[in-house]
Order: sequence, then C-alpha cells, then structure tokens
Amino acid sequence: MLSWSSTETGQDLDLAAVAAGQPGVLLEHGDALVRFASACGGTDDAELAGARAALVAETDEAFMIDAAAVAANFEMMTRLADGTGAAMPAERLERSAEAIGVMGIEHLTSRR
Amino acid sequence: MVRDDLAEAHRLAWEHIAAPGTWWTGTQRVELAKTALQAIADPDPLPPWVGVTTTDRLSSALVAPAAAHDAAYRIARHAGTMTVDVYRAVAGEIGKLPYVELCAIVSTVAAVSHFCRNIDVPVPPLPAPVDGSPTQQRPERLAQPRYNWVPVAEPADEVAAVVQAYTAVPDEQRNTWRMADAQYMPVAAMVQPEWSRRPGGLSRAQMELVAARLTRLRDCFY
Repeated sequence: MLSWSSTETGQDLDLAAVAAGQPGVLLEHGDALVRFASACGGTDDAELAGARAALVAETDEAFMIDAAAVAANFEMMTRLADGTGAAMPAERLERSAEAIGVMGIEHLTSRR
Repeated sequence: MVRDDLAEAHRLAWEHIAAPGTWWTGTQRVELAKTALQAIADPDPLPPWVGVTTTDRLSSALVAPAAAHDAAYRIARHAGTMTVDVYRAVAGEIGKLPYVELCAIVSTVAAVSHFCRNIDVPVPPLPAPVDGSPTQQRPERLAQPRYNWVPVAEPADEVAAVVQAYTAVPDEQRNTWRMADAQYMPVAAMVQPEWSRRPGGLSRAQMELVAARLTRLRDCFY
C-alpha cells in the first residue's frame, strides 16, 4: 500500500529506509514519522517521548495523534492478520515482489 | 486532543469487550482482554512457545480455558509467530468461532492500549463485565476460505483476507471496522491514494509509511 500510494501520488520514497527505520525516507515529514512509528512499535518510553515531541514540533499535535492512531490501527491489524492466517493471492504477491524484497520480509513466519 | 470520533470508537470498543459476546461471556471476555493487556505491557515477555498459564503470571482461578489465555498472550505479544498448527491446536480445544472472537478481543485491546502509549495517556480500566449469555449467533452460511485459516461468512475470498477475517462473528467484524474507520480510514477510502482526513493532516502516503514501519516491526508479512 505504501509503494502504491506513493506511486499514485507521484511522491518519491525510499522503502529501504522505511524497512530499516533510518532517515532518508524522502516523504514530507517522513523521517519524523519513521522515528515515531519505530518508537511506537518499540519498548523504549524515553525514545517514544522524544519521537513524539519531535513530530509535534515539526507538525502539530493533531498530526501526531493521527499518526499514533494509524500505528494503533496496525497493532490491531497485525493481530487480526496473523491470528487468522491471512494470506495474499499469488497475483498480488507477484505485483509486490520488488517491495517485499526491499522490505526484507520474504522469509517471515507470517508469510503464508 | 483526541478527535471525538476516535475517542468514541475506543470508548465503544471497551464497552464491547465487557459485554457478553457471541461465544464468550462478558466475564470471560474481560479476563481474556486483561491477559492480552498484560502480554502487551509485559517488560519481560514469555517466549512464544511458553503458555502463560504454565507460569504464575495469571490468576489461578480463570473462568476462560487455559488454551484461550495462552493464545491471547501469544497473539497479543508474538502474533507474527502464529502458525496454522498452533491455530488448529487452539481451535481444537476452544472451537473455531470462539477462536475468531478471542482473536478480535486481542486485536481490539492491542489497538486501544498501544494508542494510549503512543500519545502518553493511561490505558483506561476495562469496564466491569456485563451479565448475560453469549448469543451464539452465527452467519447463515460459513465457508472455509482460501486466504484465511479461520472460517468466514459466505461468500469467501471476494474481499481481502483481512476484511473477511472476522465475518464469522459479525459483532467483532462491526467493532473492528468501526475502529479502523476512526484510526485509519473508512473502507471506501482505501482505493483513494489522495485521501486525507483533513486539510494538512496525514497524507495517504504518510499513513502508509507509518503502517509499513509498524507492521515491519511486528514481523507481519501481510
């Protein structure tokens, strides 16, 4: 969905930076968002506080809350997908092969 | 300040957890939700292959079966390690549709509790369980889909696997997608690459950036 949405809207994006949680994503506010999403998915409360403050400083509180809600949504969807054994049709996997490789997810247990 | 629609979706989600479900009582649902909350917040998480009920981390007087608690803990903390064999073993003990409901309880808890941590507010206490019996209502026809382990309401595989995953337990399907509408976007907007909740708000690509990074950290291939 990420590569689709960026392609459809003509925005450059470095998927490898997203996968690694590194700066250089290219999208507007992308580095602050990657840092914040990484901290949301981690266990370091101090890093989360720093990432949250940095995102608010760069955008505003409403923007941060919307990003927090998206992260929370995918906490929900990952349990839904992996708890129910959700899989993708072969044609979708073929279309996404390059992104799957760049994201480094081809060998995950959750690939079904 | 949290948007009204988002706050309301989470308030309703917590009420939903405490109400009698389709296959679990309100008491069982709250108990399983507490196990999921504990797993998510656990500073020293158990490895995925250790059942939480084989440790002293839960009360010894559980109302829901041990297999349900073990699955709740594992899905809450290690969802990416779930396999079809684990699913079959758990569903063999508690039933396929109760398993679907259990998974929905855990995914609901994951959303609300992580959102609270993300914005640095306390997780609200779960409401007291509501008395009553599970409805045991099931869709008229169930099917075994190609793209999920769990049964779904017919017709199978006409929508994405994540969209059909909870259709065998319609109350969970409704609650989940009400939350997704508020947290992410309405289902109808998913085909719109330019969709944004408000002017100046997160763009679609920015939303997907957050989603991609979070799901990568959770080892979720889907």
